[in-house]
Amino acid sequence: MIERRDIKGCLAGKILRVDLSNKKIWAEDTEKYAKKTLGGRGINSLIMINEIAPQVKWYDPENLLCFGVGSLVGTMAPGACRVDVSTINVFSGGKGSANVGGFWGAELKYAGYDNIIIIGKSEKAVYLYINDNHIEIREANFIWGKTIFETEKILQQKLGDNDIKIASIGPAGENRVRGSAIIIDTARAAGGSGVGCVMGDKRLKAIVVRGHGKIEVAEPERFMKAVEKCYRQCKNEPNTKMMHKAPLNLYSDPEWEGWNTNIVVKNGQDDQWEKVNRIRLMNFKTGVPNLQKGVRACYSCPTGCMPYMEINKGKYKGNKGEGFWINTIMGHACRFNISDPESVVESWLLTNELGLDGDYVAAGLSWIFELYEKGMINQKDTDGLELTWGNGDALNKLIKKLAYREGFGDFLADGMAEVAKKIGQNSEYYLIQVKGQPSIEPFRIPKGWALAVSTSPVAGRHLRGATMGSNKYGPKPRPGNFGVTDYQNQAKGVVWQGKTKELEDNLGICNYVGTWSGANFLTIADFTELINAGMGLDLTEEDLMNHYAVIGRNLEKAFNTLHTGMSRKDDLPPKRFQEEEVKSGPYKGYKIEENKYNKMLDEFYELWGWDKKTGMQTRTGLENLGLIDIAEKIEKQGKLIDK
Amino acid sequence: MKIIRNDNLCYACKTCQLICSFHHTNTFWPERSSIIVSRNPQDGTIKWFKNASCDQCINEKEPLCVKYCIYGALQLVKEVKEYD
Repeated sequence: MIERRDIKGCLAGKILRVDLSNKKIWAEDTEKYAKKTLGGRGINSLIMINEIAPQVKWYDPENLLCFGVGSLVGTMAPGACRVDVSTINVFSGGKGSANVGGFWGAELKYAGYDNIIIIGKSEKAVYLYINDNHIEIREANFIWGKTIFETEKILQQKLGDNDIKIASIGPAGENRVRGSAIIIDTARAAGGSGVGCVMGDKRLKAIVVRGHGKIEVAEPERFMKAVEKCYRQCKNEPNTKMMHKAPLNLYSDPEWEGWNTNIVVKNGQDDQWEKVNRIRLMNFKTGVPNLQKGVRACYSCPTGCMPYMEINKGKYKGNKGEGFWINTIMGHACRFNISDPESVVESWLLTNELGLDGDYVAAGLSWIFELYEKGMINQKDTDGLELTWGNGDALNKLIKKLAYREGFGDFLADGMAEVAKKIGQNSEYYLIQVKGQPSIEPFRIPKGWALAVSTSPVAGRHLRGATMGSNKYGPKPRPGNFGVTDYQNQAKGVVWQGKTKELEDNLGICNYVGTWSGANFLTIADFTELINAGMGLDLTEEDLMNHYAVIGRNLEKAFNTLHTGMSRKDDLPPKRFQEEEVKSGPYKGYKIEENKYNKMLDEFYELWGWDKKTGMQTRTGLENLGLIDIAEKIEKQGKLIDK
Repeated sequence: MKIIRNDNLCYACKTCQLICSFHHTNTFWPERSSIIVSRNPQDGTIKWFKNASCDQCINEKEPLCVKYCIYGALQLVKEVKEYD
């Protein structure tokens, strides 16, 4: 068992509690939660499992909306800027979690808070104002209905401070569109799990933060030595330059391997996008790279991966803002077969501005396009929109309809699973979803990726263990097999990557600067030294990987067990990818083979210490982590495996 | 010697502001920094100010803001004095 020493640095020290129903605000110490989990998402998960009763639904006032800033955020630890937003997942009913960078998290810590836990629902639209100790729930009628851009501008003007940091929802969240995001600093999205929908349901338009305080570290000199080493690694790492403009650098080469392994085309009809489209979208002279006017980094980040875009011609000329991501290519381009660069950039800007989740828009609406192609819906249903592949203008109009619940948009807004029920005709088969959440991820070619996405406790997203699936990228050494299409040994890589992500979300270190992309950015040894020097602890790499990381994952899994009927059957990839093969390209003929996938899944459960047959947690596993109270809760529901 | 900044290379990560505050306070305290970076994500502009409290990190080999600017936007250059 880990010796839990007092934490002597890095934390702001307090968790802010807000009750929107009763308009109450109070605070408590962070330390007891951070001792168990190290911080960030871990604290959110712990509070959720302790305080949300199993019968509570996402729309109940008892649901919590939790913001957790990582424990190293606010310091010079490279890439330490991330915030976890956790709540009940509007799609699965289990754990919801979305992670976001930017500057808001550090500002909250300078104001004195590590986490914000929000309970209840306001009757009227409100926003939360935090200026150090001065905290108020204020009326928000003047910004209700406004886009993200408008909301931020109005708040900055009204409060007379351009340096306030804002987390807000757009019209989509206000209208409880299921796939709504919470947007931080104009363009950084806490996207998945419908976190923006929950915020809208609570009638909370924004959280405005200004902090003037400091973050202290336990051993400043030792901490800076660790920081200096990390910066040296980032500077010397050849992948850093490539990551500076990642989506544009990698995908501007039409021969890049990711085009063959990471892409899903036309809602899953194929996994290969024609080269003519790749070139049209991404060539340097007339494609997306030509619309990039600069690059922006998040707080204290040595990678700097966010392009600043400005559309310079056509009907969207003049529209601009931060943001264009690999998911934009995977989602807003390939899934709709849209290769017009201006149109794709516009749809991404629009997605942010209206407060939608990009992955939800791409996976959900490309399914609607396919239903249109198959004749299950027609122009009468779509208010006259021609939802044909490649029609970017129609997509942009549909995005607006969805966010504002206008006409056909209202029909779509309660979630695609509901839409499938209304349309019938086997339409559900074509909806690419995992645990109820639409997913843009590739499954048929990269097998480790398929395993991670299918088993993600937050439903169908890759940030719970997806591996780059390539020897060329990712840290070395790392366990597992990185032949991208292989099934053997993938589970080892996925579990290792899942564990490192647990740590990153607790510390607030970006996955890009952490263990995911570059060969030698930050390592587990670096995490350990930063924690020990910063927080005044005495932990080993072993403690991090085999205790804290495992606790984090088990808390999310246990939440799902207690709140839903999820088990092994929910950790499988979408049926379509088990039945339909890739139609073209170098991986023509590939699909998920059920037997081989199941073997991979067996190994995955064994490595996490879960029961192979059911995928459920065991008494010994939870007790070894000191989670005896949680084991008892699961046992009461008859879902604990007595091993 | 003076610290100059190339606007085209700046990614607005605020690392310079943060490390400067550490130099002055041994803590991470952006309000006590000699440098203030203000970024407008909507129009893409970045404002960068350095006030008179900058001592160019007199006790270090080079100013820490220059040392930790991974994007190469900050440089220490010889000051050329102009005479009439």
